[in-house]
Amino acid sequence: MLDNFEKKKKKFVPYPKGREINSESVNQVQDLISKLPLRRDLLIEYFHLIQDKYRCIRKKHLAALSSLLKIPFAETFEVATFYAHFDVIDDEDETPPKITVRVCDSLTCELKGSPELISKLKNNTNKNDVRIVRAPCMGLCNVAPACEVGHNHVVNASESKVIQAIETNNTHPSTINGVSFEDYLESDGYKLLKSCYSGNINVEKIIDELNNSGLKGMGGAGFPSGQKWKFVRMESGPRLMTINGDEGEPGTFKDKLYLETDMHRFLEGMLIAAWAVEAREIYIYMRDEYPAIRIKLLQEIEKLISNNIIKKDYVHVRRGAGAYICGEESAMIESIEGKRGMPRHKPPFVSKVGLFGLPTLNHNIETVYWIRDIIEKGHKWYADQGTRGFKGPHSFSVSGRIKNPGVKLAPAGTTMNELLNDYCGGMEDGHKFFGYLPGGASGGILPASKADIPLDFGTLEEYGCFIGSGAVVVFSDKDDITSIVLNLLKFFEDESCGQCTPCRVGTEKAVKLLEKGNWDKNLLNELVEIMGDASICGLGQAAGNPIRSAINFFGNHLK
Amino acid sequence: MKKINFFIDGKIVVAEQGESIWKVAKRYGNTLPHLCYADKSGYRADGNCRACMVSIEGERVLAASCLREPSEGMKVFTKDARSKKSRQMVLELLVTDQPQIDLSHDPESHFWKMAEKVDVSKSRFDKREATMVPNSDNSNKAMSVNLDACIHCNLCVRACREVQVNDVIGMGERGHSSKIIFDFDDPMGDSTCVSCGECVQACPTGALMESSLLDKSGKNKGKHDREVDSLCPYCGVGCQLTFKIKDDKIISADGRDGPANNSRLCVKGRFGFDYINNPERLTKPLIRKKNVKKDPNERVDPSNPFSHFREASWEEALDLAGKSLLKIRDNVPGNSLAGFGCAKGSNEEAYLFQKLVRTGFNNNNVDHCTRMCHASSVAALMEAIGTGAVTAPVSEVKNAEVAIIIGARPSQNHPVAATFIKNAVKKGLKLIIMDPRKQELSTLAEKHLQFKPGTDVALLNAMLNVIIEEGLVDRQYIEKHTEGYQQLISHVKDFTPEEMSPICGISVDEIRETARIFANAKSAMIFWGMGISQHIHGTDNSRCLISLALTTGNVGRPGTGLHPLRGQNNVQGASDVGLIPMVLPDYLPITDKKNVEFFENYWGTKLNPNPGLTVVEIMEAIYKQEIRGLYVMGENPAMSDPNANHAREALSKLDTLVVQDIFLTETAYLADIVLPASAFPEKTGTFTNTDRRVQLARKAVNPPGDAKQDWWIIQELAKRFDLNWNYNGPDEIYDELRNCMESIKNISWERLVKEGAVTYPCDDENKPGNEVIFGEGFPTNNKKGRLVPANVISPDEVPDKEFPFVLTTGRLLEHWHTGSMTMRASILNSIEPEPYVHISKKDMKRNNLQQNDIVQLSTRRGKVDVKVRFDRMIPEGMVFMPFCFENAPVNVLTNQALDPDGKIPELKYCAAKIDKIQAGA
Repeated sequence: MLDNFEKKKKKFVPYPKGREINSESVNQVQDLISKLPLRRDLLIEYFHLIQDKYRCIRKKHLAALSSLLKIPFAETFEVATFYAHFDVIDDEDETPPKITVRVCDSLTCELKGSPELISKLKNNTNKNDVRIVRAPCMGLCNVAPACEVGHNHVVNASESKVIQAIETNNTHPSTINGVSFEDYLESDGYKLLKSCYSGNINVEKIIDELNNSGLKGMGGAGFPSGQKWKFVRMESGPRLMTINGDEGEPGTFKDKLYLETDMHRFLEGMLIAAWAVEAREIYIYMRDEYPAIRIKLLQEIEKLISNNIIKKDYVHVRRGAGAYICGEESAMIESIEGKRGMPRHKPPFVSKVGLFGLPTLNHNIETVYWIRDIIEKGHKWYADQGTRGFKGPHSFSVSGRIKNPGVKLAPAGTTMNELLNDYCGGMEDGHKFFGYLPGGASGGILPASKADIPLDFGTLEEYGCFIGSGAVVVFSDKDDITSIVLNLLKFFEDESCGQCTPCRVGTEKAVKLLEKGNWDKNLLNELVEIMGDASICGLGQAAGNPIRSAINFFGNHLK
Repeated sequence: MKKINFFIDGKIVVAEQGESIWKVAKRYGNTLPHLCYADKSGYRADGNCRACMVSIEGERVLAASCLREPSEGMKVFTKDARSKKSRQMVLELLVTDQPQIDLSHDPESHFWKMAEKVDVSKSRFDKREATMVPNSDNSNKAMSVNLDACIHCNLCVRACREVQVNDVIGMGERGHSSKIIFDFDDPMGDSTCVSCGECVQACPTGALMESSLLDKSGKNKGKHDREVDSLCPYCGVGCQLTFKIKDDKIISADGRDGPANNSRLCVKGRFGFDYINNPERLTKPLIRKKNVKKDPNERVDPSNPFSHFREASWEEALDLAGKSLLKIRDNVPGNSLAGFGCAKGSNEEAYLFQKLVRTGFNNNNVDHCTRMCHASSVAALMEAIGTGAVTAPVSEVKNAEVAIIIGARPSQNHPVAATFIKNAVKKGLKLIIMDPRKQELSTLAEKHLQFKPGTDVALLNAMLNVIIEEGLVDRQYIEKHTEGYQQLISHVKDFTPEEMSPICGISVDEIRETARIFANAKSAMIFWGMGISQHIHGTDNSRCLISLALTTGNVGRPGTGLHPLRGQNNVQGASDVGLIPMVLPDYLPITDKKNVEFFENYWGTKLNPNPGLTVVEIMEAIYKQEIRGLYVMGENPAMSDPNANHAREALSKLDTLVVQDIFLTETAYLADIVLPASAFPEKTGTFTNTDRRVQLARKAVNPPGDAKQDWWIIQELAKRFDLNWNYNGPDEIYDELRNCMESIKNISWERLVKEGAVTYPCDDENKPGNEVIFGEGFPTNNKKGRLVPANVISPDEVPDKEFPFVLTTGRLLEHWHTGSMTMRASILNSIEPEPYVHISKKDMKRNNLQQNDIVQLSTRRGKVDVKVRFDRMIPEGMVFMPFCFENAPVNVLTNQALDPDGKIPELKYCAAKIDKIQAGA
């Protein structure tokens, strides 16, 4: 191992030691971030401003930012390099090309041909102008394969469609329509919130309503929402609220849909929840893959402020930067604080010690989306939408080898067969139903023979699976189960934060074992076991699920 | 505190509040495997390696025992198959990508021990791709970075960021690609790393290691064969360490858990010990050759002194030294002999040295480098509170709400003490730094007042003015414990912030705000260093600081105190045992008849009752040829004295100069007899650190050749003065000095052997010493502290048209004092090998200078040629130079003007100019 630093021997030892902080870069960074206050927790926001302006983050700018914030060089570097959407480069390196195309390589897109698309694009575009990179799920599985040209989502992507977008420099997100603020007000929007604010509604009553409705955390954990409010209210204030808009579980795109179609219903629900726990401020963490939504969120929040519904600086929107792990609530909280998205150890739970160390109510977008309707229409309206004894509706994001992919609002307790036939128009022509992922990459895999189980929180655990965020990916007899498992494990390997050994090393060794073929089932089982037992967070604990499922249910089809 | 009862493997156990399952299990004899958890103070459990997993009844997944605290009745299992398997698999996963044990960087590492503990020696998994294995980084001369052995345990990150707070190491990237980085993934040697080596000590795998322990291929050279617990020889912090020795050579040093260092060390303590093996070590007594004249400007090659000296036997050298000095004593009228003792030697050596001067030379001309350090601080402290030592240890800063650091740069000069200050800042301490130069701690400080050099009194008096005028004083304290308050009030009345602001360059608001922050704190400490003391108004500077503390009642309680940071490792002890011309051991004034009588009785001989001369005065007397013989042990006035050309000239005039040292120093060039002594790791003795902790150092290796123990040399010389000394070792000498010193009478040698460190004053042989003192008054006549007003005096030599710069001097982190040790410590010298004058960017521009240009730096007293170095910490109009470099000895430039009370020269301020000689390479 040759030491490559020896070659760059310098004549002069600077004082104090280490990089010089150059004043020109300090001025540039200062100008860029001047609209924001100077605060440590805004670090990632500052990175975005630098990356957006220069298409990269040069080390001189990192150094400048370190000195402005009075934080160590290592701290800015480790945060910036944690997130996929920042390109940290040496000062003398060339700026990345003008256009970055991120092609989704998560399962649905892979089934729909993204590997071929990637290789075509790589061969037929100029490396100096365009950079083709792989990216995880961007919530466009219903229109797979998908990619982002700059911030422009190209759906049902083909080589020609992408090249056209590149050539026309069409890199901006398309605008979102949906129910407007005015229309939402028209339909009695924010009336409920106003009665909360004016004291006409009793908090306990709302909590009871929620509990009776059976509303659960739709981010994937399925924790009863009313209970959560109770727990947070038990902690002494000040309290905070966070909204997890980091919908990153491959195959999931329901939150995106609700935000695109009726954003204010979400906002009102969020504000009611914040009122209920007396949260001092709300932080919405919005994934960077949904730029149009984020822009609209900022606009609509401005409208709430100008219409005196909320005060300025009550709701903050924070921009993710390409890290699946930040969908884990404590990792998200770390990210909002401007740190690497490292899940925290539990206990303590975020309801006790959350954002900035304060008790925090964290909700998924869809969860709060239902609040207004449940209170206005009563808990029964919501609860009765379930079937087979399950409560409420369930938003299934269904994609894969089916005729009509999309978000299907079906009764909780619906089976896969019902979903497939009654909601999705059955399998694509020429494909025979072979199996499905009930809960995205982490929820395990079930064979077609197990498609009559009611789907809801808690029903699949006995099969080593779970419903999670309701991301259902259907595959057929034309698909290869070993490639599917490999795709999922590679995803986890890429997205592991690296904090704990079982996940960091485990996902990598699992990929190696899978790539070798001829699965060493015993060793894989042992590995999956310890990843599940000893990983810090849900990512590592669930990362082995696809392997276990494949061994249990598809043993004869493994190559 | 409530205790928690719970079960481990079915047995009931009891946990203290806040104790982890891991710690409880260990206490009950079950040490679970651990990698990312270091069971030592300062290291937080991180729970990332998952090697210590246990099962807990009723929980879905396993728990990291290092992090998890038990709850009442919890049932924990450590011996169940599931948790055992889990711990084993974690090790197996990590073993996969480790270098093979027999080729590894550290086959004795903690990691391999843990692997063995769970019976894992190989892995069933495939190694990562070769491209994923990080290259080794040998850019730092002290440490090798071999991340092929890294297990991402994060201990080095915690060591660097949370323990030492040097903030260099991080974990970059993500997931399987994540890696340990320095700054921006820079080579370690190019980063902001200060080479404290805490990471090396923390690393459980050998991914970070002392380079000296590895061969070229990165393989371990082999284990040490023995260990010796001792101390660090450098600064006053007094870090305890363990020398690791192989084939009778020290091969590495590890921090030991002493009260002053909690196992921490800095670059000097950890990597700066091979000076003792330098081929230039003196191994035989030398006698100046006949007919070789003493030329003050001549350099002698220390590796070949035979141009000027010849070797001699001990007998001959000692006889000659004794005979020559005796001849001067007996034939030259007046006090014609003097001795410079040493603050690097032990208490025993310092005690013997002053005893020899007082009882053999028959005068009190004995002094040492304390004169150059804190003489003025000690003068002010003696006058105000009746003692010269600190009132609280550095570690007390953890209880302080506010701390002022003025005229001190602890990150460079007291690096380990600085780490405790930084730890406290992280826990909420408000740090106020006052220093014309910025420093490493500035980024952590609440305020940094960059005042104009030499205007300390103006700034401090203005703060006193605010505190008094705004009624922020502690009336009760003042009444009960001080005198002179009324005079102070009327004195500082005129020193309004408005009047003082233009003088000191700090805005009125800043002065007021700072005064309020300090005075309103429930507890506050003041740390100071040479920036305060090395001025002609050094004593006045200290008086102001003392008044700040006394008027606000910030002495004698937890989190309060006055702490002049001591420079040399034993400057406190050397002063305590009487290596000062005006006081006997324990600071008993020689002018007091009672004290003289006591020691005449104790030593069985007549004593000269007149105070002797101080360092600079002795040099002056030598110059005037009133003093004709000088015995120097371990000091180097030819480098360290101000206006060093003058000092060298004086030394060359001596009839007899006896120098006892480990190297041929610049002072020894002019010697008649040179006596080869032993280096710190070669001797046993007691040393007293800046906190008043008496600590025991133990001999690790033998001195080279014929070099002898210093106490033996002093005794042999004493015998030539017909003194009947028969000490058999340092323990006997210690017993003698302990029995004449009230302060340490309860600290016996045996106790030090057992406990390693005991703080004085100590009330009882079985009680720990008192850390924070003077809660109930001061050791003055009326138990009160005196508030002594101070006037604003300008420095002796201010810049003018001809000499427009303020020249200030000091040290670098890597070099100790005159560099005689550290320039010969290979690693330290390789980090900072050559002299530079430090200057601001604006002044560089104005003078058309580039980095590395060679300039002539001159003052009215001399000139040196030196390279230019940009320093972003230095203000315009000021230049800085370290005084360690023999080839650019800055003390030929400095001003010897003295503080009237402390007799300390103004080393921190003189007027200088810069002329470009040559463009840099």
